[in-house]
Amino acid sequence: MERYLRQSLIDWFPQKKVQNCRIAIVGCGAIGNEVAKNLALMGIGSIDLFDFDSIEIHNLTKSVLFREEDVGCMKVEIIAFRLTELNPNISVKPHQGDFWDTLSLLQMNNYSCIIGCVDNFEARIRLNLMCKVAGCNFIDTGIDSKFVQVSIFPYKKNSSASCYECSLPNSVYARMQERYSCGWLRNLAFIEKKIPTTVITSSLAGSLAASQALQLIIEDKLKDSSRLFANSFTGETVISKIEKNNQCPCCADLKKTIVITSKNALIDNVVLNFSDKNQLIETSEPILISMRCVNCNPEHDAKIIFDRAEKFDSSHTVCPRCSFESVVFDIRDRFSVSELKEYFSGRRLQVKFIRVDSIDLTTIIEME
Amino acid sequence: MSEISITIQTADRSKKAEVSLGVNSTGEDVLQAAISNWSLPTDTDYSLVNAVSGKTIKSNSSLRASFIRDGDVLEVQPVLVAG
Repeated sequence: MERYLRQSLIDWFPQKKVQNCRIAIVGCGAIGNEVAKNLALMGIGSIDLFDFDSIEIHNLTKSVLFREEDVGCMKVEIIAFRLTELNPNISVKPHQGDFWDTLSLLQMNNYSCIIGCVDNFEARIRLNLMCKVAGCNFIDTGIDSKFVQVSIFPYKKNSSASCYECSLPNSVYARMQERYSCGWLRNLAFIEKKIPTTVITSSLAGSLAASQALQLIIEDKLKDSSRLFANSFTGETVISKIEKNNQCPCCADLKKTIVITSKNALIDNVVLNFSDKNQLIETSEPILISMRCVNCNPEHDAKIIFDRAEKFDSSHTVCPRCSFESVVFDIRDRFSVSELKEYFSGRRLQVKFIRVDSIDLTTIIEME
Repeated sequence: MSEISITIQTADRSKKAEVSLGVNSTGEDVLQAAISNWSLPTDTDYSLVNAVSGKTIKSNSSLRASFIRDGDVLEVQPVLVAG
């Protein structure tokens, strides 16, 4: 194709492979814009975009694909439209919503890699976990006003490669916990720190991430996870191998992993998969099982909720009847099969997936 | 040998110190000392990288377990979160 004539003159550029591959971009902010633009111009055949957010006026200083008239529109829709303008020969699919809900583990097998351009630790940790269990290559990006960080995790080639959480300092978990009260209820008083960035670091991150994605397309031989850390002022770059952490909260206990889908999240259906009633089932998100006001209802049974704890926030600690902050919660992410059968029959497992470990196998059952 | 002599520096190389540390000191100890002595922003998370061997250093691991040697340069890098 004439459009790619110059690129095809580059002896190492895998134009055919590029046109045939599919890449997902999760997070369509400043870096996501740059990555999307680069992939589209190179001619990546299929690009899937994931984001839940709409465009705000302050996005315009860093986002090459947004215009002033786009303010208020959904990021994925606008980027999909602009990419098709840039290159009508590619396929672009926007997926609006939280990737945790819109991206399925089985779907991830179709991607050459997933490029994470998200803006918080929680999303990175979730995306890393999904890529790790699905065996999908993961490229993570991060910036501030001066530095750029691009990490590559070749999970497709090496399922035991060190993961994003292997090198995460403990302070990150303590900081993440500030978002919650009473364990896993969203803390309404928490104010997210805004980190200022410029188009210089986001465009650098976008270039490096696209380049790493290209490396995975050219030669899928990478076995070790690594991180590139660049100073945008001086150009100095440190490349480091990410060491495996035997105490990693994500991958230390993962065994050979298989992923299957459950068409029906009804507990009575899910438990049919297990013959051992003592089998321990871990849910991907903590579940708020019950809540009770110790003031109004000190003796009686708690009200059964059985839903994702993240749907509730710190306002629920205040009893609507007595107005005291006296509501206590039972929140857990581990259940035995017999417990689910006995106490929660008829309810649905409102989680992304459940995890079951045996001696040498980790089974992930994704809820459809 | 119970001590090693290493260089610790910030990612922008604006702060640098040659120090002798016990081999049982952990990556976390080094980070905390750097944050405290250099008054690095406390609303940021940091990780440690051996710029000589090109390997990340786990915060819970000792310098001995991380195979840190005399003359190594440990860089304190912010963990970047914005996208």
